[in-house]
Amino acid sequence: MSAHPDSAAVGAPAVLAEVKPAVLPRPVLVANNRNYTWITDKICSLIEGPTPTWWWVCFIVAIFVASFTIAGLTYLVGTGVGVWGHRSPVNWAWDIVNFVFWIGIGHAGTLISAILCLLRQKWRTSINRAAEAMTIFAVACAGLFPLFHVGRVWMAWYLFPISNANAIWQNFRSPLEWDVFAVSTYGTVSVCFWYVGLIPDLAVLRDRFTLAGHNLRAWLYGLFAMGWRGSNRHWRNYEMAYLILAGISTPLVLSVHTIVSFDFAVSLLPGWHTTIFPPYFVAGAIFSGFGMVLTLMLPLRAIYHLEDLITQYHIDNICKITLATGTMVGYAYAMEFFIAWYGSNPYEGFAFINRAFGNYAWAYWIMITCNVITPQFFWFKAVRQNTTLVWVLSIFVNVGMWFERFVIIVTSLARDFLPSSWGYYSPSIVEIFTFFGTFGVFSTLFLLFIRFLPIMPMAEIKAVTQQADPHGGGDRH
Amino acid sequence: MSKAYGIIAAFDDTREIFQACEQVRDAGYTQWDALTPFPIHGLDRAMGLRRSKVPRLSLIGGIAGFCTGMALIWWTGAADFRLIVGGKPYFSPMFAFPISYELSILFTAFATILGMFFLNRLPMHYHPVLKQPQFARATSDRFFIVIEATDPKFDAARTRALLVQAGGKDIVEIEG
Amino acid sequence: MSAPVPPPPAPRSDQALYVGLAGIATTGFGLMFSPLKMVAFAWLVGVMFWTAITIGMLLLVLIHHIFDASWSTIIRRQYEHWLSAFKWLALLFLPLLVLSWMPRHSGLVWSWMDPATPLPGGHGTVGTDVLYVKKSAFLNLNLFTIATIAFFAVWVFLSCKLRKHSFAQDADGDAVWTLKNRWWAAAGIPLAALSLTFASILWVKSLEYHWFSTMYGVWFFSNCVRGALSMGVLMMLWLYHRGDYAGLLNRNHLHSIGQLVFAFTVFWGYVSFSQYFLIWNANIPEETFWYNLREQGDWYWVGMLILFGHFFVPFLYLLSYKHKVVHAWIRPIVIWVLALIFVDICYNILPAIKDARGDPLPFLSLTLLWSLTAVIGVGGICVWAYLRSFPTTKLIPIRDPRIAECLVYHESSHE
Repeated sequence: MSAHPDSAAVGAPAVLAEVKPAVLPRPVLVANNRNYTWITDKICSLIEGPTPTWWWVCFIVAIFVASFTIAGLTYLVGTGVGVWGHRSPVNWAWDIVNFVFWIGIGHAGTLISAILCLLRQKWRTSINRAAEAMTIFAVACAGLFPLFHVGRVWMAWYLFPISNANAIWQNFRSPLEWDVFAVSTYGTVSVCFWYVGLIPDLAVLRDRFTLAGHNLRAWLYGLFAMGWRGSNRHWRNYEMAYLILAGISTPLVLSVHTIVSFDFAVSLLPGWHTTIFPPYFVAGAIFSGFGMVLTLMLPLRAIYHLEDLITQYHIDNICKITLATGTMVGYAYAMEFFIAWYGSNPYEGFAFINRAFGNYAWAYWIMITCNVITPQFFWFKAVRQNTTLVWVLSIFVNVGMWFERFVIIVTSLARDFLPSSWGYYSPSIVEIFTFFGTFGVFSTLFLLFIRFLPIMPMAEIKAVTQQADPHGGGDRH
Repeated sequence: MSKAYGIIAAFDDTREIFQACEQVRDAGYTQWDALTPFPIHGLDRAMGLRRSKVPRLSLIGGIAGFCTGMALIWWTGAADFRLIVGGKPYFSPMFAFPISYELSILFTAFATILGMFFLNRLPMHYHPVLKQPQFARATSDRFFIVIEATDPKFDAARTRALLVQAGGKDIVEIEG
Repeated sequence: MSAPVPPPPAPRSDQALYVGLAGIATTGFGLMFSPLKMVAFAWLVGVMFWTAITIGMLLLVLIHHIFDASWSTIIRRQYEHWLSAFKWLALLFLPLLVLSWMPRHSGLVWSWMDPATPLPGGHGTVGTDVLYVKKSAFLNLNLFTIATIAFFAVWVFLSCKLRKHSFAQDADGDAVWTLKNRWWAAAGIPLAALSLTFASILWVKSLEYHWFSTMYGVWFFSNCVRGALSMGVLMMLWLYHRGDYAGLLNRNHLHSIGQLVFAFTVFWGYVSFSQYFLIWNANIPEETFWYNLREQGDWYWVGMLILFGHFFVPFLYLLSYKHKVVHAWIRPIVIWVLALIFVDICYNILPAIKDARGDPLPFLSLTLLWSLTAVIGVGGICVWAYLRSFPTTKLIPIRDPRIAECLVYHESSHE
């Protein structure tokens, strides 16, 4: 038993002699005590091996689904934004719902890579790469909706402060303008973070392809590996940079969804203007993102036999975070309802009664069931250990969070202050196709990712194995 | 034959390279490096390296981003083209905050990544150790120490002896 | 290796008790100079300040267990000792409850308790105020009393469970105590979250019952945790310099807790900014009046002090690694944070005392003095409770499954 006191030459305090920890081993992060070589081979083999048949099948299906988005958007550009179902008073609907939905999914990726990195949760290493990829692809899908909702998409550069012929500037008082900056910063920083994480692994692939004589592939991976050679002088700066990126990504991910919530909360509309929106949206985003992580990782784990790298412990943790954030979202629902009553504003009170019992009540109760009740199953170990059930529940989470945005956006707009202007919104077929297709866009990108890039950060996984501790943490010493 | 770049020695696990690094450090070498497939805890200190300077660059980036945001919104709204929108003031740090905040993060990220590349002198697609056939394992499962010939204490025979004594295997000289 | 160093003698607790009693007595003495209302408000500030910190410690222990954390094992035992203060805090809250039940003084602190309280500006009384009538199902004395008892019951109960299990483990070294505490942490976090939210609504927000904000519970939570972390740092340093923690505490422990102080500074800033910003931007009178009142007189400067002192100063200060790990650097900032939590709580409570025109009475006043003496009084009792519990167990949880990991906790250090 040795301690590392600040000042040298202090005798060990007497209490140290009594320290005799109870035995409660921590779960191992890489099961079956796999060594470095196994980890490298396992992850690289997914790229080096022949393309599996299932991949082609999925890829073709994904491309087919993605074509719906392309068709929908082409039709929209050719005809006008009126092909979507928005009518006064509901001028924001599926487009913004889908935008917030996809952005929210992206947030789990940043959360896993950044916040869990800062909290030193080492279990993140098995899932962070895929989760970060998910972030980038989700942000890409999210960006499509507001971009095309502006109507004349070729004028989208008006959103950026580039001086134009009218000599007026963007309205920086508008949360929509903040969104432009938030989402583009988020996309850029996520790509940077992802790429920095990839560099050491690209070097691994470069070296393996060089040995195997695949010169073109070695050259391509080598180009992006930047000449990485694992120098410890480099690792020192690299680790610091990675930590800083994690450090800034954490407030970034919070701010992005905060600003998304500002889109609603700075307005005066009952049901939108409430001060808890920022943390509530962030909790919801993390919740939906972790749902999506489960949806994506569980099939991958089964197909690629990654049980040694994504262990039951990983699944347990993701389920628990889903439970925690789902319950936080439940807290926010309750708080909104309570304060709507406590605030005694009749419009606010009506907005909430209308949500629960009005003509969109079906959406509200789907939301409550999926977001508040579904995660409560994760209290039970038996549920968490049943992978199929966890996967099914994760789908419910995804559905529930889509409905949450739908409920917030559409119910408040459809029933605003004047009964004479009330309306009922239904999506048009173009809208439905466009949204449906984004799942194809997302899947296509994700399939390309798992085919061509290492789906797990090899260097980071090796660093959390027991044998990586030079001071004898493992049983080898 | 071109001039030697240095001597490379291989090690099999983290404990070996850790102790070897301490020995090389204590022998007074400065122009040398450890090549590892992943960052090893405490190896910086074993090599006698100081804390990274990346944070300073990041901080500069962050401050620059924040000022850019505030200046942009002040100049466009309160100086270049004054326009009342929504009854809000021409300029207020309140509504300028979200964008300034995002820009400070964006600029911090750029400063951090570019700073890391700059401090590491990357990209460098050609490097003598990359030519070494056994090096391929340095990114996978083996650990290496390279002592460069430019080090003032470098002496082919004595340096090799030090690496042997430190437990190095497959010791070879590499050409520059 | 040198011979084991015996621990220094256990600290004496009676001095803290005397300080506490003196503080309470001085606050009581204030009745000779100030009306009962001012002293009662000051007392509320004192009780809220320490209740917030103690709730924060409860949360940190719960969070420690739910995360299966290792480094915080070193400070957890101190938090557990401090949690014994909850029953005393309940006792110290009692005068406010008693006052509420006294027909003559009901409505003195929480104006809605007495329907006859006149509204500022001559707009009738609370009893005829439609905004009160609508809320009266929640804001009434019976529910207030039951809820107050329930909050303290939850906190005392959770503290007892956590303490008992942790102390029992010292004796038999059974890992099952850790598992039990983990279970209670999972159950306790929702309970603690709800109780602290509604405590903040009932005890503080309802002082100005017209105002509402869904963020309020989250704001209170952030101050609770900041206070608890700051007290944690002070306890660590105190025990280190007394000699107890010598050889146990290393700079990585301080770095980790310092990072949390930093993180919650950001979180507090985020929550407070969001609340202010949304109200500022929407500009609805029924919400903005709360902040408008706080721009009157010297309260404006208090607001500025909070903005800069409670966020920017600790934020910039704690960016540096050195400021988180060097004792002489981290100590002043956590004291500063504690002082600003006091100011923040004053900012939320004291402007509810209005003059005849409905403007808040100034911050710099006798009420502030009595608030300070109340903080000293209640604080003395809390410290006394902590010191009384301190010698009853080992300094650190010697049989905790993570204690060895905690003691060799390092990021990059190697002997």
